[in-house]
Amino acid sequence: MVVLEAKPDDRPTTGPAHSADGKRGTGRKEPRSPVRWALLGVLFVVMIVPIYLLVVNAFKSQQDILDNPFSIPLGKLTFAHMSAAISSPQFNVIGGYGFTLFLVVVVDVLCILLAGPAAYVIARSLKRRTQLVLLYFLAGTFIPAAAVIIPVIYVLREVGLANTVTGLIAHDVASTLPVSIFLFVGFIRTIPVDIDHAATIDGAGRYRTFWTIVFPLMRPAVVTVLILNSIGIWNDFVSPQILLSPSSGHYTVTTAIYASISQYSTDLTKVFPNLLLAVAPVVIFFIYMQRHIISGLMVGAVKG
Amino acid sequence: MSGPQRLGRRRARLRETAVSLGMIGPAVLLYTLMTVVPVGVALYLSLTDWDGFSTAAFIGLDNYKHLFDDPSSTDAWYVTALVAAFGTALMVGLGLVYALALKAKSRTNSFFRAVAYFPHVISALILGYLWAAILGTNGAINNTLAKFGIAPVGFLFDEKFALISLIAVIVWAGFGFNVVLFVAALQTVPAELLEAAAIDGASRRQTDLRVVIPMIAPVVTVATVLNLVGLIRAYDIVVSLTGGGPAGSTQTFTYLILARSFEGTKVGYATAQAVFLMVVSAVLALLVTALRNRQDQAATGG
Repeated sequence: MVVLEAKPDDRPTTGPAHSADGKRGTGRKEPRSPVRWALLGVLFVVMIVPIYLLVVNAFKSQQDILDNPFSIPLGKLTFAHMSAAISSPQFNVIGGYGFTLFLVVVVDVLCILLAGPAAYVIARSLKRRTQLVLLYFLAGTFIPAAAVIIPVIYVLREVGLANTVTGLIAHDVASTLPVSIFLFVGFIRTIPVDIDHAATIDGAGRYRTFWTIVFPLMRPAVVTVLILNSIGIWNDFVSPQILLSPSSGHYTVTTAIYASISQYSTDLTKVFPNLLLAVAPVVIFFIYMQRHIISGLMVGAVKG
Repeated sequence: MSGPQRLGRRRARLRETAVSLGMIGPAVLLYTLMTVVPVGVALYLSLTDWDGFSTAAFIGLDNYKHLFDDPSSTDAWYVTALVAAFGTALMVGLGLVYALALKAKSRTNSFFRAVAYFPHVISALILGYLWAAILGTNGAINNTLAKFGIAPVGFLFDEKFALISLIAVIVWAGFGFNVVLFVAALQTVPAELLEAAAIDGASRRQTDLRVVIPMIAPVVTVATVLNLVGLIRAYDIVVSLTGGGPAGSTQTFTYLILARSFEGTKVGYATAQAVFLMVVSAVLALLVTALRNRQDQAATGG
């Protein structure tokens, strides 16, 4: 509020603005104003044309892509380049799906296993010390991942995990902990403590109380955290690029794309099919889970 | 209270502490090892001239001094600041315009919101490659222009245009997030306020500027800082869209750290740059927290 009061020059005083005022003032009950549809038209074209080009050109020959990037030459569409990309022996994106999905699942599971109980203890404790632990985790959200990735290499080297999948997973799980714990703590605090007491009276220990009584009630927070972490890990490029060198033989979708396109950037019959393969699963997932994804990522960004 | 009872209670409390430690310990341990220790290592390495192989020599604050007299480092900050400032202004501005157009709850609106938002779930690396194939010398736009006899435009290969292209692609990929954020805030603006404004004879534009936007001002502030913090870390999209070129004109600070200093085995200097980036991010992120606290206070009527 304060911010806005300090801006007296918000008022539209120019001539054209006034005439626009009049027009929109009369049309306020009418949502189909031409301005609105022009705005939405521009939005649609600008957002969708790149995806249209991606899809169409994945099924065209190099010559057709160069000559007529926007056209759909019905007779000359070919699946050859797509199938070549699917079965490519080098930097295979489909192979990248498998490894990336494996990473996503393992990191998601480990993150929940570590963040859940930790958040439960933090949320239920009244001690100052425990609250300091929460601050300790929160400090992690201030650290840009790209800035610590270099020293992480040397830490992993010390513990014998340099250039290993285990090392990458350890780093990825650690990077998901701060926001996950923060979101979990916030949510657990909304669950009445009486439920815990009832479980304790019935003889359940703390682990059991958490996993069988509290955890099932945390579904919305867990969904948010899973979406946030899954999309983050799936799209992550810096960590696998720096922590898993090509000699490890493992490629995520992003590092496979990086390796293949930096090698064949002028061969558009390799670029477009590979990019389409990389984008397709995410877009399909997005279309199905749209509402969850949008609200999950928003909560994660704003609260995290 | 009798002795054995007290002893039993103490033992119970001790067991409870042990269980708590068992629940919280693994997370603390992993986080410490993979995030906190590396920050310490970075601080140490930043005071050395280590190249990643030989033994490191302690050189004090030389790396940090070098940060300010090394032209590639100051240039990278200049580029990063331009990206962050213009990117944020455009993303927040466009976010507000489209949020106002799409705030009503309807199927059409949620479709268009998804259209604006979808690039946010795709890796920036991939979006950069896609746009490189569209804007490149042999890209879709230049090949189409060529058919009309127009010479190719160096969207990505001309020093004048490359930074503009980079910012444009970043805005394309990121403004949808702001749209969704602002729509969520706009939907909490009470209808009575809008009715009151209408009764007072305010036009739609006046209502938007004087009533609606002030109501969501705290969210706009938070979005601004979120965008700033995100953009000063821009890396993936630089790798795929321009590779920092031409002639370093799109080289952001994170790109400089990872692709130049680190690849060039100047590990000590790279970590000094990383520490500096960390400090700048932390200052901006602290700003978010401070603003958010103020927003919470405002929300609770404080």
